[in-house]
Amino acid sequence: MSRDGEGQSPDMDRILRRETRSTRAAVATAAAVLVIVLAAYGLLEAGVHAVGQPAWLIEPQVAAERLVALPAGIPPLLLGAIGAVLAMAGLVFLLNGVLPGRRARHRMGAGRDAAGPAVVVDDEVIASSLARRARLAANVTPEQVMVVVSRRQVVVNVRPTSGVPVNQDSVLAAVRSEVDAMALDPSPEVRVNVATSGVIGA
Amino acid sequence: MNSTPTLLNRILVAALGLLLLGVGCLLMLLAAVPAVASWWRAWSADAWSGINAAFNATRFPGRPESWLWILVALALLVLIGLMVAWVAQQGKGRADVLAVEYDPGEVPGDVRIGGGVAEQALKHALAHRPDLAGATVTTYDVKGMPALKVRLLPRQGVAPHLLADEVSVLVSALEQAVGKNIPVLIHIGAGARTRFRRAERVR
Repeated sequence: MSRDGEGQSPDMDRILRRETRSTRAAVATAAAVLVIVLAAYGLLEAGVHAVGQPAWLIEPQVAAERLVALPAGIPPLLLGAIGAVLAMAGLVFLLNGVLPGRRARHRMGAGRDAAGPAVVVDDEVIASSLARRARLAANVTPEQVMVVVSRRQVVVNVRPTSGVPVNQDSVLAAVRSEVDAMALDPSPEVRVNVATSGVIGA
Repeated sequence: MNSTPTLLNRILVAALGLLLLGVGCLLMLLAAVPAVASWWRAWSADAWSGINAAFNATRFPGRPESWLWILVALALLVLIGLMVAWVAQQGKGRADVLAVEYDPGEVPGDVRIGGGVAEQALKHALAHRPDLAGATVTTYDVKGMPALKVRLLPRQGVAPHLLADEVSVLVSALEQAVGKNIPVLIHIGAGARTRFRRAERVR
């Protein structure tokens, strides 16, 4: 019943770590299916051979002898192409396994309330919220503001209405106060670009 | 949040990738470099004669077949079983009980609160908010402990920190009602439903 249960906090850290990484379930399933299909074929041939029946596709003996004599018996271009396809598939699997695979998400409210719920936000939601704030500060229409949120950077692009100057500092201050209120982790740095050419008739 | 074995996935996928990459590179080298071809012939002929000897030594008495084939078939069966078990681990971890507690009162028995209670209550509380395009609540089993995942789809321009604070209040009210602390994850996301609807104007 106590708020500071020992088991809770490390589990929450683990959950947050898993939520901000992309899942490999689909790739893992594809890999498993590939291995299952190959193993099932091998099982079929081994079983057929064990009971002394003729092979289904190729006699294992013949297959092995062909493998031993490999550069001969097949056009080198075809052999190279098969190799390239296999290597490409292998590279895809390997990179899927090794790369960090971060999702475009931020943790929110780090240290706000340790006992409360943990919060994870998609970068897209952050961007649309910041765009709204920047639009109100610059007094322009939604089409004139574009916000890009990446892991460590927030870039706000504003195209002012022609003849109405936009105060870059006030936009920066507004966006920065919003970002500070969100308490994102990792905390991004805010940059505001005001375009030199204006929009007519907005 | 589910109990997909992420580390195992990474290791097995990377191992398969390395294997395929190695075989692919070997085939490409065989096709392109003559020196590799001659090395391969020498090496593989040795290996093949070794395997042949093993098969010859393990024949059934009086029959031409080797019992090594049965071993190979068994090994492949085990491999298939392991792969099926691996696939079955993906995306597991949904739970349907939120709290189990022994009731020390007069009535014998214990108390169980299903995950549906939290899911229905939170969903109902969130259903009529104008700033949300959708909300889902699911109960997961995280290392034997029930945990809630609240997925919110706010409309464009909604400030996520204010939304999170308001949902936190709802969650703590739920915890009061259930009488137990539940680890909760709030995921504020974007999807096709939020992207193509107009922004919320008044809030």
